Amino acid sequence: MDFSWSDQQRELLDAVGRFGREQLNYDVIAHDRDAIFNHDAWKKCGEFGIPGLLVPADFGGLGQDALTTVGALERLGYTCKDNGLLFSINAHMWTAVIPVLSHGNESQKRKFLPGLCNGTLIGGNAMSEPNSGSDAFNLGTTAVRKGDKYILNGSKIFVTNAPIADVLVVFATVDKSRGAEGISAFLVEKGAPGFDPSHRIKKMGIRTAPMSEVFFENCEVPAENLLGKEGAGSWLFTRSMTWERGCILASAVGAMQRLLETCIRYANERKQGGHSIGKYQQVATKIVDMKMRVESARHMLYHCAWLTGQRKAVYLEAAMTKLHISDAWVKCAEDAIQIHGGYGYMIEYEVERELRDAIGSKLYSGTSEIQRNIIASLLGL
Amino acid sequence: MPLAKILVAFKSVPDPADAGMSSHDIASKFVINPFDEIAIEEALRMRERGDVAEVAGVTIGPAAVDEQIRAAMAMGVDRVIRVDDSRALDPYAISRILCSLVGREQPSFVIMGKQAVDDDSNQVGQMLAGLLDWPQATFVSKIEFLDNYSRACCTRETDSGLEVIEVSLPAVITTDLRLNEPRYVSLPGLMKARRKTIEVATCEQLGITVQPLTVILSTARPPKRPAGTRVDSIADLVARLKNDAKVL
Amino acid sequence: MAKSLIVIEHGPSGLKRSSLHPMTFARQVGDSYALLLLGHRLDALAPTLQSYDATSVLLADHPALAEPLADRYAAVIAEVACKESAQTVIASSSTFSKDVLPRVAALFEAPMVSDVLAVENIDGVSTYKRATHAGSMLANVRVTSDRCVLTIRPTSFAMPAPSSSLSPIEKLPVDETSLPKGMQFISREERVSDRPDLSDARVVVSGGRPLKDTETFERLVGGLADVLGGAVGATRAAVDCGMVPNDYQIGQTGKIVAPELYIGIGISGAIQHLAGIKDSRVIVAINKDPEAPIFQMATYGLVGDLHQLVPELIEALRRA
Repeated sequence: MDFSWSDQQRELLDAVGRFGREQLNYDVIAHDRDAIFNHDAWKKCGEFGIPGLLVPADFGGLGQDALTTVGALERLGYTCKDNGLLFSINAHMWTAVIPVLSHGNESQKRKFLPGLCNGTLIGGNAMSEPNSGSDAFNLGTTAVRKGDKYILNGSKIFVTNAPIADVLVVFATVDKSRGAEGISAFLVEKGAPGFDPSHRIKKMGIRTAPMSEVFFENCEVPAENLLGKEGAGSWLFTRSMTWERGCILASAVGAMQRLLETCIRYANERKQGGHSIGKYQQVATKIVDMKMRVESARHMLYHCAWLTGQRKAVYLEAAMTKLHISDAWVKCAEDAIQIHGGYGYMIEYEVERELRDAIGSKLYSGTSEIQRNIIASLLGL
Repeated sequence: MPLAKILVAFKSVPDPADAGMSSHDIASKFVINPFDEIAIEEALRMRERGDVAEVAGVTIGPAAVDEQIRAAMAMGVDRVIRVDDSRALDPYAISRILCSLVGREQPSFVIMGKQAVDDDSNQVGQMLAGLLDWPQATFVSKIEFLDNYSRACCTRETDSGLEVIEVSLPAVITTDLRLNEPRYVSLPGLMKARRKTIEVATCEQLGITVQPLTVILSTARPPKRPAGTRVDSIADLVARLKNDAKVL
Repeated sequence: MAKSLIVIEHGPSGLKRSSLHPMTFARQVGDSYALLLLGHRLDALAPTLQSYDATSVLLADHPALAEPLADRYAAVIAEVACKESAQTVIASSSTFSKDVLPRVAALFEAPMVSDVLAVENIDGVSTYKRATHAGSMLANVRVTSDRCVLTIRPTSFAMPAPSSSLSPIEKLPVDETSLPKGMQFISREERVSDRPDLSDARVVVSGGRPLKDTETFERLVGGLADVLGGAVGATRAAVDCGMVPNDYQIGQTGKIVAPELYIGIGISGAIQHLAGIKDSRVIVAINKDPEAPIFQMATYGLVGDLHQLVPELIEALRRA
């Protein structure tokens, strides 16, 4: 088992690290306070090639495998403190790019992928509704075929990127009586009549990632924007959600590494009682546990991505990865605050923001409880 | 008539972002010398503006520097020649190697950073110009072509401020910090670079033999300044400067 | 005939004092030296150079040398060095010598060691100490050829003591037709200042980007420098954003200073800047960030708001 990166992978990862360090080091405190999405940084990430990492070169991507991709996202998370920007990029990659790549027809791929790959098009997906979160397939949003259009009615909540998106993958049911089998996916483009993504949601963390409640009022979607077949929506969703679970917290591993190093530095520099606080066992133990979490999170991340590259079904591993990394991230952020004492509570030190950002990871892409249910059922319980 | 070819010389150096922690012995991460990156960027902009048709790069070193060569290609350099030599060469030896390469490549001018941030010598460009008997423009912060590309007007950063000179081409130009801000390597650029070939040459093929004439006997960290004190008021500071340091 | 040829620098306000410091270096290694001054209308400057025990004061005085164009200067210097049978050509580090002397080395067919901090004779051979990696390393270097070209850091060697004996002045013939003609001088910014030169000021006050604009920089950094009779410097960041001109820059790729007193205002202490100040006798740092790296090097560190502290300091010094 070779645990090392190849020369080519290392070169790519180093380029990502340098890019993040030099181009994405802006003041996040103000952006977080005012919930400002950094369009300029998004544009740079697009030109740099991040969103298209997994897409074949034919469609404007870089044709990299899952492992290299998560390695790159981890590097980005390490060098860029704007967890919200990275969340936006991830939402775009897993909920828009992957569905179009996996289920789009030739013309849809040609139309959307190049722009999605270089960031000129921003994507996202709309699944959750006010009355269906964990109960994912119990959708109230309907789609009715009328001539050469589908008419969508309903509302979606917690739609990442909606306020700025050029295209959203929207899940709606064409036949409520068929339950999950009735769900279809539609590519709803900005400016579609009856499509209102303007009701922004104010969040506890990842505040720089735009999110809104989206309303469909007799929203007209051209029939050629049906993604996949009618009724294939839940399969498409499960497939992209598996990708998402395995990969969306890659940057969190980078963020945790950054937190670990910050805490080590602080523990060595901060002196109380005549010596550095790192010499106190209660502080040292927290940092040791942080290190353990970072390492185990990283290993699960890489292993799941490797399995994906081997074309193995990763339902179990993806759920485990997502569950473990989110738990680890929240705990690391909490401990980081504790280690920094009062300074950890100050906005200026940027440690408290990490906790606010991390907590969301236990909720999106399926709550930690849902992940546990999935794992339990896959264990045969 | 725009220029046919310019030659950019660049060096691999330990990443200055690690500066203060690296020494000859520690294998740190290597990057393109920041001043040479500025030279590469300027050459690429000249090509994009149509002033120059081809941007060729040259570097001297063992196969390990291929990583920096690919970074230069990822930025957009068309082709790069690596002169294979793993010895610790001094600026005089380097300039003699570059001189013979210039003889082979016949560029319209040579551009490089004013100094390498590891060695900090600031000699190669000027030595090369002397060997070629070409005009030189050093520590340049602005370059403009004049008279149908027969001359370049260069603004230089000197101890007393900015100075403007004109040099007839071909010439050697060394770049200072404020000439431009280099583009970052993008992943698409990196992928494109993987399809470009690195030409490897040896001193033997170039028909020259060089030996370094400067030898580094030893290196050491400079002595650390003794730790100072924090003062908490202007009055305290002034008193100490006056009475303790006796510098007022 | 002298063992070393020392190139002296001059400007609008006369001889550059720091360019005389190589004589201390030459005296230390026990080499005889001739001084070379290039330019036009040098008669008024030459007499000062006669009192330093040089074997001769050589003047290359010609209108074609009125401006220090590297191709012409290097050609003349190399020729003089050969005529003098000199083995070493030396100058004090400056943008002039950095521009010209390496070219001289190529023509002189000699290696060059830049910015020498110290020299030691080990087993009969000179070993030069110089800084690398932005001053974070010191290297001991030896040259394995008979000839070499050197620049020395002026702050590492003192001003030479004058002597009573008078060196002869020799006016060298300059053949204009043989001089290279590929370079042409166009213009230079002439900024007149009452303040001392950064390179040899006793006090240097330096500012960073937090000063925000030229007016504030001049008022606080300039104001403090003036009350102390010092020179004004800046970080690369301050120059990059246009707050101050490039010749204020102190650091690895700017000027190296070693004053009695250096005061850094709003300077965090990037290693590249510290490289330019570490030989100062007393370093004072004023910064609002208690973790700023410069505090590790400062003799005295004051944490606080510079906009409040600097005017207070200026006032306190005025009264003192």
